[in-house]
Amino acid sequence: MIEPFLEVRNARKNFGPTTVLDGVTLGVTRGEFVSLLGPSGCGKTTLLRIIAGLTGADVGDVRLDEQDITTLPPHKRDVGVVFQNYALFPHLSVMENIAFGLKGRVAKDEATRIAARFLDLVHMRDFAERSVRALSGGQQQRVAVARALAVAPKLLLLDEPFSALDRKLRETMQIELKRLLRELGTTAIFVTHDQDEALVMSDRIAVMNQGRIEQLDTPQTLYHAPATSFALQFVGLSTRISGQVIGHQDGNLILIETRHGVVCAPGNFARGSQVIIGIRPERISFGMLDGQNSIAPQLTDIVFQGARVQVHFASAEDEPIILESSARLPTNLASGEAVSISWAPEDTLVFPRDVSA
Amino acid sequence: MKSDRSLVGWLAAPAVFYLTIVYALPLTWLLARSMMGPEGFSLVLFEEFLGDPFSWRVIGNTLRIAGMVTILCLLIGYPVAFALARARGVVQVVLLAAIILPLSIGVVVKAFAWQIVLRRDGVVSQFLVGIGVWSEPQRLLFTEIGLVVGAANVFLPFMILPIYSVVKLIDPRLMEAGATLGVSPVSRFFRILFPLTLPGIVSGLAFVFSLAVSMFVIPSLLIGDRFQTLATLTGRSFLLMRNEALGSVTATVLLVLAVAIVLISSLLARRVGRFA
Repeated sequence: MIEPFLEVRNARKNFGPTTVLDGVTLGVTRGEFVSLLGPSGCGKTTLLRIIAGLTGADVGDVRLDEQDITTLPPHKRDVGVVFQNYALFPHLSVMENIAFGLKGRVAKDEATRIAARFLDLVHMRDFAERSVRALSGGQQQRVAVARALAVAPKLLLLDEPFSALDRKLRETMQIELKRLLRELGTTAIFVTHDQDEALVMSDRIAVMNQGRIEQLDTPQTLYHAPATSFALQFVGLSTRISGQVIGHQDGNLILIETRHGVVCAPGNFARGSQVIIGIRPERISFGMLDGQNSIAPQLTDIVFQGARVQVHFASAEDEPIILESSARLPTNLASGEAVSISWAPEDTLVFPRDVSA
Repeated sequence: MKSDRSLVGWLAAPAVFYLTIVYALPLTWLLARSMMGPEGFSLVLFEEFLGDPFSWRVIGNTLRIAGMVTILCLLIGYPVAFALARARGVVQVVLLAAIILPLSIGVVVKAFAWQIVLRRDGVVSQFLVGIGVWSEPQRLLFTEIGLVVGAANVFLPFMILPIYSVVKLIDPRLMEAGATLGVSPVSRFFRILFPLTLPGIVSGLAFVFSLAVSMFVIPSLLIGDRFQTLATLTGRSFLLMRNEALGSVTATVLLVLAVAIVLISSLLARRVGRFA
């Protein structure tokens, strides 16, 4: 088996009594763009800092490019970081910031040439002599990326670099960054709590929760076949209904009793198991169809979103049942009425439910 | 905007009035007195003063002591300012109190305390003999070293606080960013922290130097009359010798030297820390 370009093995970290990383193992291939996605406090930034050498892990090791870097100080690791607040040097110009890591490493002319090239790559040529304090958020972000890439790190780490930008700019910068990294062939790990950002940018996404990686997969797999109910909940919209397995059917199907009726789904659970079923909103459609799971919940809201329409239904759970459609809606919908909706058994995701929680 | 400006004028009025009466007028008189010859304006007093080798020894004493006190304060104060800025919670409160509370003790009291500490049978002497550095007790009181150490103690907060106020604003991630760019810890200090703390260092140097160059009580108590600085000489001229002419000249020389050094150092710092 080929060793991954970056490998984190069984990383653990406690801050006092709090476990921040609970045995994380992660492998990243050369040239890959991997996102660490999770809510705040899930340990994603700590994992990033351990890879960069800014924080030491209590247990576990880090290997990069066939070398054990676990105990190397950050300045000997060849791992670049783009910080959340960019951390540009306020006493230096844009050009000096970008050339910062080159000084003393290459000849002065060479440093100027490389810095100028990266200045061009991030479209900041006209700002070379400006103070970084005079830049907008998007411009600062570009300088931070150029500064980190100019020293040609083996691995680039990005800690929520878009979180301070407004939405429109964020989308432009995401595409720009993705293109730049692809052109340079840079391996990158990207920390974010924004699932849309992760889906757009990543080759693979590691969903993190409570100091663990719950699933590491391509965006497509993660969306269509989430491994845990947390992954389902955190990536994309979904409707979740709890239930209990009451029997089996042919073809590896199980019958689940929920408060909306009996639902059929693929899965391997013993009779009596407590489960959560999940359905993506675009998989649900209006009407009652043979061979499909059908329920008739009460309609509560119709949310118009332009290209798509979301329809919410009252659920026995905390969150509503959501249907999403880009087709024309039936004309006779009125809130407060029970409406039949259905979805295919194979679109039903089933996860074990922790009853004690 | 116009009303804002006139408001500024009124807000500053009490201070301007006060300083004019108690500071600007006497200072003007002092400067005028130093340039008064037998027949009107003349620099003959300066010529006389600067022509005397004794005067140059006094100027040398003044600058040397003030310089050593300032550098000692910087060496001790710079790391303390970092500790203070990075400390959290109780530790920070205790540190801050340890730095600020001594300011409430009068200079005279502190100087007398140092007299006790620096005596032949004082704590320092006993300690150095105890650990074998000195073979027999020695007196540090009434020596230049004793004066520098004592004065540095009194002026240390004026070095720590301006540096602290600058360090506090430096994002710790800047040093991390430097590290991830492959820059060694020593280079990071000289290329990131040092230039960013330079404004604080310059303020601290200016504060301590101007205090040390003009100190009067501390040298009087810690080194005595045999060692004269411009400030002690000025004091003696007015209080003991009743020599207004000499006093006004030494005071003016002191003023010019102090202002020049502080101005030059600020200008230099401004050139180094271009964007800071």
